[in-house]
Amino acid sequence: MKRNVAIISVGYNGRFVSKRPDINIPELIQPAVDNAIGKTKLKHDQIDAYVVGNMHTFEGINQPHLWASDHFGGSKKPVMRIATGGSTGASVYQAAYYHVASGLYDVVMAIGWEKHDEGDAQVGLMGILLPEAFSMFNFGPDMSEDRGIAGLGGGGSTGGAAFQAMSYLTKAHAGIEHIDRVAAMMRSNAAKNPYAHLQQPGCTEADIAKTPIISYPLRYGHTCPTSCGAIAMILVSEEKAKKFGITDRVAWVKGLGSGASDATTGNIIEGQITDPAEQYMCKVVSKKVYSMAGIKDPRKDIQVAEVYSGFSHQDLMWPERLGLVDEGKSPQMLDNGSFAIDGELPLNPSGGVTSTNAIGASAMVRVGEAALQVMGLAEGGHQVQRKIENVVAHGWGGLFQFVTVTVLGRTPVKK
Amino acid sequence: MNERVAVVGYKQTKHTFDSPVARERMIYELVKSLFKDLGITRDDIDTFIFASNDFTDGRTISEVYTVPRIGSFMKDETKVEADGLSAALYAYMRILSGLYETALVIGFSMAGSEFRVPLTQAYSLDPVYERPRGIINYYSTSALQASAYMKKYKFTEEDLARLTVKNLQNANNNPYAARKEPTASVEDVLNSKPLYLPIRQAHVSAYADGACAVILSSKKAAKKFTDKPVWIDGVGHFMDTYYIGDRDLLAMEHLSAAAKKAYKMAGIKNPKKEIDLAELHTNFASEEPVFAEAMGLFKPGSGKDVVKNGESGIDGAMPVNPSGGPIGANPINATGLIRLAEASEQLRKEAGKNKVKGAKTAVVHAQDGPGAQLNTVFVVRR
Amino acid sequence: MTQETRIIENTWDLTAYQWKIESDALDLYVKGLKDKKILGRKCHKCGTVYVPGPTYCRKCFIDIDKVVEVAQEGVLDAFTVNIADVKGNLIEHPYITCTVKLDGTHSFLMGILEGWTDWRSVKEGMRIKVVWKDVTQGALADLSHFQLI
Ligand SMILES: [Zn+2]
Repeated sequence: MKRNVAIISVGYNGRFVSKRPDINIPELIQPAVDNAIGKTKLKHDQIDAYVVGNMHTFEGINQPHLWASDHFGGSKKPVMRIATGGSTGASVYQAAYYHVASGLYDVVMAIGWEKHDEGDAQVGLMGILLPEAFSMFNFGPDMSEDRGIAGLGGGGSTGGAAFQAMSYLTKAHAGIEHIDRVAAMMRSNAAKNPYAHLQQPGCTEADIAKTPIISYPLRYGHTCPTSCGAIAMILVSEEKAKKFGITDRVAWVKGLGSGASDATTGNIIEGQITDPAEQYMCKVVSKKVYSMAGIKDPRKDIQVAEVYSGFSHQDLMWPERLGLVDEGKSPQMLDNGSFAIDGELPLNPSGGVTSTNAIGASAMVRVGEAALQVMGLAEGGHQVQRKIENVVAHGWGGLFQFVTVTVLGRTPVKK
Repeated sequence: MNERVAVVGYKQTKHTFDSPVARERMIYELVKSLFKDLGITRDDIDTFIFASNDFTDGRTISEVYTVPRIGSFMKDETKVEADGLSAALYAYMRILSGLYETALVIGFSMAGSEFRVPLTQAYSLDPVYERPRGIINYYSTSALQASAYMKKYKFTEEDLARLTVKNLQNANNNPYAARKEPTASVEDVLNSKPLYLPIRQAHVSAYADGACAVILSSKKAAKKFTDKPVWIDGVGHFMDTYYIGDRDLLAMEHLSAAAKKAYKMAGIKNPKKEIDLAELHTNFASEEPVFAEAMGLFKPGSGKDVVKNGESGIDGAMPVNPSGGPIGANPINATGLIRLAEASEQLRKEAGKNKVKGAKTAVVHAQDGPGAQLNTVFVVRR
Repeated sequence: MTQETRIIENTWDLTAYQWKIESDALDLYVKGLKDKKILGRKCHKCGTVYVPGPTYCRKCFIDIDKVVEVAQEGVLDAFTVNIADVKGNLIEHPYITCTVKLDGTHSFLMGILEGWTDWRSVKEGMRIKVVWKDVTQGALADLSHFQLI
């Protein structure tokens, strides 16, 4: 017998923005916590335990939850810290789920955040490769100016993403215009989400196409911003949800899972064996999650998707790898309007990660937005109006290697 | 849901101050030999949990390259950024939920040779008021605690030196310990380099290169691994407030709370009587009496008598760190997990020279943050 | 209420680390390059051929020690056209960074792609071959680039 767990509240610190020089990390987290609690009838001391996480090398503060404990309410409470790169937020939420599902706790808060203005994200990302890249110097790499080690290693996250984008376009017989189109759709979705960072109402394919190419086929307009922001969610057991008298406007966790393959780019030391655009683990994990959620045909049974796309081509790739769309058919779905908020399979009504990316929060924002869609509480016009039974939320991280998948629904899985 | 979870396998590296191999090789060899001991393959493990930290690894997303090294390639994997016992706690929750039957937990670091521990610790301090001033750090916090304890309970420098020697002797008999000082005397400890008095160099745990892997399993799946499961019967973890001025460094109420919670779960009413040994994560020797008393293992303020009567020695009433504890080896991220492995070994009667006779129930502790801000406690039984 | 903000300057000092890196795979690989050979390791259990070849198999989680020389031809797997340098300035002659899969191997090699005039005509799956520097000395740079056949 499994214990059913529900998300009963999702809170943000405010709108995600590029700079918050007026506050520090604890002050960034606190309003999100207050917001999540404020939406319920709970009081702070009714939270049994906290699970928290961010990408701490980006700000240069080791285990900032120690310092921030008083601000989020963690003092004199159980606290656990989880971090798994881009998928951190989803991994934190999953740990919060297990705090409840294990039967050890009833009311648990999950918090994810990033304050990108306090560090340099590119330096943070280079930190992934640094020791390995340094070691290359011992093996006589080509040091000519334009083809040096940056080219080999992929140069931060964008280099590797460009391989993936090219590979995806070839497989799907699609062109760069499809990436432009989906990028534009996300920015205009974001304009309907009061919390999103890059809000560009009516953003068009042509607007995106004007931005310069970074590494073909990826343009500046296909990349995510670096945002400051925090998200907090409250997870409770079924018994507590009943006790609190809140079982209608909640999102039930029906299935969840995570997986890791090897580092896809830059693993020059020992060769890489997975294709960047193949994302086999995403297929494996989502199948497992659907079966846990009792979903036989994800195409029929899932109404909305929130996917983690640091680069716009991934907004096309993930729905396919998640089994929501036939392989190679995303560009078609995009073109016929299926991915729009009022379409057949609304994709990232929130505007997605390419509109808002506070790394340690981003994967949890996908889950939080999925929960808001299920509850019918998405604000500012990005609520999907069709009847929603199930929503899938996806997270992604590491060097193209970690994946998390969650299905939230209106009704819990029958025991 | 699964009702009971057991430690069914464990292994630690021979910890060193300068590992001859890189971290990748270290953890691969460790997990490989653990699998071999148990006669299993990586397919017998449902979920893999790392305990590591980007700052101790000196890399962003430190598990990017270590994923395939513990057998988690194309498997379910996650990372707890805290001590390994927290990762074991998470694994325990995952198994209790009934979604997984088995889990491998691994903690490791190269604290002996790849970085200076005080530096990575400094990165976790309040960057606005404390880090730039450099007054408050992990050393000075524990020194404040030590001097408060010594003053209040007339615990002398000599008592502290005796306690250190007890641990050093235990470490000397522990084949995995990095620090071997068989001839260390009370005099030597008293004369060692003063750092933050009353803390001297000899009191500091042995930051080392090393790793520890533990396999947990549901009751149902335990038989596949061993006929000597060690049951996790109680768990608790609590965080204290951050600022030192707001804390009661002596009472350690959050540690008491964690221990009480674990005891209650395990049905322990009188820890002094019902617990046979304790493995504590102490970064400094002076923490031992403070922690042990907060956990209800000794009467508050009894440190002096405990040392005098050898109560915390291997043959004492309540052996504390029969393994030598972190005084013998402190590979950050693995240290708390090693306590679980050491306690399991004792309960399975497989400990070597440091065997505690008749041990049936043990308490295991791990900490994180300056002055043990975050504490995790396990009660394990054979 | 006045709000005062102070910016505290500090860095994550990566020079404070002395990393140990395992180099079994690269040692073998660059040794082969000196003789204009591409060496990897093959798993005796599942047959996976890794280039560069680590001393263990990620799939089987066992030690592997069988050194194999692999073909110097293969297929173009993925590529990106570098139009700007790492600082974002447009460069005069775009170049292609690619991953290739040499015949009989299961892992990808990264490098520069030559042998094209219009990058728009380059497609995944095209055949490629390895091109060597004239003088090889046992360094990564010995493998000059991959050439479209
Ligand atoms: Zn194999």
